[in-house]
Amino acid sequence: MAISVRGLTKSYGNTEALRGIDFEVRRGEVLALLGPNGAGKTTAVEILEGYRARDGGTVTVLGLDPERRDRSLRAKVGIVLQECAVDPYLTVTEAMTQRAGLYPSPRSVGEVVDLVGLEAKARARVKTLSGGQQRRLDLGMALIGNPELIFLDEPTTGFDPSARREAWEVVRGLCAEGRTVVLTTHYMDEAQALADNVTVIAAGRVVASGPPDTLGGRDHGVTRVRFALPSDTALGELPLPPHLTPRVRAGMVEFEIDEPTTVLHELTRWAIGRGEVLDGLAVNRPSLEDVYLSLTGEAAGVEGSGGGAS
Amino acid sequence: MNDLLVAKEQVRYEQKAYWRNPMAAVFTLAFPVVFLVVVGTTSGTSRVPGTTLRYDQYTVVAMLTFGLIAACYTNLAMSICLRRDSGMLKRMRGTPISIGSYLGGIIGSTMINVAVLAVLVVGIGMGFYHLHFPYHPAATVVTLLVGIVTFGAIGLAVTVIVPNADAAPAVVNGIYLPVVFISGVFYPLSNGSVLSRIAGYFPVRHMIEALVSAFEGGPGSGLRGHDLVVMLVWAAGALVFAARRFRWEPRHR
Repeated sequence: MAISVRGLTKSYGNTEALRGIDFEVRRGEVLALLGPNGAGKTTAVEILEGYRARDGGTVTVLGLDPERRDRSLRAKVGIVLQECAVDPYLTVTEAMTQRAGLYPSPRSVGEVVDLVGLEAKARARVKTLSGGQQRRLDLGMALIGNPELIFLDEPTTGFDPSARREAWEVVRGLCAEGRTVVLTTHYMDEAQALADNVTVIAAGRVVASGPPDTLGGRDHGVTRVRFALPSDTALGELPLPPHLTPRVRAGMVEFEIDEPTTVLHELTRWAIGRGEVLDGLAVNRPSLEDVYLSLTGEAAGVEGSGGGAS
Repeated sequence: MNDLLVAKEQVRYEQKAYWRNPMAAVFTLAFPVVFLVVVGTTSGTSRVPGTTLRYDQYTVVAMLTFGLIAACYTNLAMSICLRRDSGMLKRMRGTPISIGSYLGGIIGSTMINVAVLAVLVVGIGMGFYHLHFPYHPAATVVTLLVGIVTFGAIGLAVTVIVPNADAAPAVVNGIYLPVVFISGVFYPLSNGSVLSRIAGYFPVRHMIEALVSAFEGGPGSGLRGHDLVVMLVWAAGALVFAARRFRWEPRHR
């Protein structure tokens, strides 16, 4: 186990940020922590990183208690914070070399500069880098110490789509090397693409955890079928089982069904028999975002004691 | 990891960043040198009462003190506040570096800056104001070292009461400019005056007196133990305050 958290609590004054959360991360796994702003994600991650002391519960990170801030632990952990915190007057290579000198067995500076795609900027001063380049430098700074465990706090916020794909490739490469990654994100597609497991925190509690494909019963959830109603056809003419309640919205037929195999077969056979096509046919499970919104919405409803502001 | 080796590397990178940032060098080197030329050439060559130094030679000592405070107190406090707000301190704290190595790097770099300043202003004094090379070189070095520790410690302590980097110039200068003015940096104080008695509670006056004594020859000159003790008391108080209340991260909201 790379990380084990049991009954973790933390309050700021009268505000309970964490009300007893549990989760585990296996070595070599990517865990995505999801949750609305103010849900307690950042507090949880900062306790794991050793920046905050907890009030209660047990926490072990790579077998050690992060609150003791052992140097041997800090040497095995890489942290990417949200702000680019590098001396603006040093060059990319200088900043990386300086950081590498703090670790017992660092990676090669040139290799990491290449890995984060800054080879063209290696001799440029940090303050001349664009926002996206500074974020990539940040990621490189976290990797230079050859960490076993990496914390990524919203690593692709502000990236353009191609830069995000590249950052995802870097994260996948880290897992392939057997490193453990904990990332917080607001992007559901990011969690879907990268995470082995997802833990959703809302109002200081874990409201769901599991692989992204089965989170919150996603794999058992109803399937939604949509297609365009063929011209000159009434809804009643479709070969649908009587217990379904199809709707027509803007010319699209829509219905939910637990198991779509049979009904799809009937529908497509009917269409082929009439020499028609089912325009815009789509068969969807609820997306991770649908599940996330319903989970965090429920938690907010339970905890929301009148606080209307976001 | 060898802490000393890491600190030495830190000094190297601190120096690189320092010389590439024109603002820091302007405040710690250019200001004292310009003041020395302007104030020194207009202060005349009569003797400052109670010393063997001329007024223009006294200006060398005063500007060395002024520059040392700019390098140790002002520059250190400003850069710590900036680094705290930008997240650099938090970031450093997530790496295996020891606090000693990190601070050691900053202080080592500051010592180099003070040495450069000392060579510059003493050189100008010797070249233009007939200043004698300090009669007590060892006492001069000890006084400068105590000054670096004292004003560095106060700089560290003042970051505690600075809420954020935007407020840093106001707080940092607001504390030190009045003290510098009443301590005789821009004109020698007459002993026994009200101002000099108030200034006696602060370390700047003692720094100047100790440096004057180390620079001049004659009876009673040399190392001024009691001035250095006052400075070190300030240093100890500031360090205790900083150690208890130092913040690595910006204040939230």
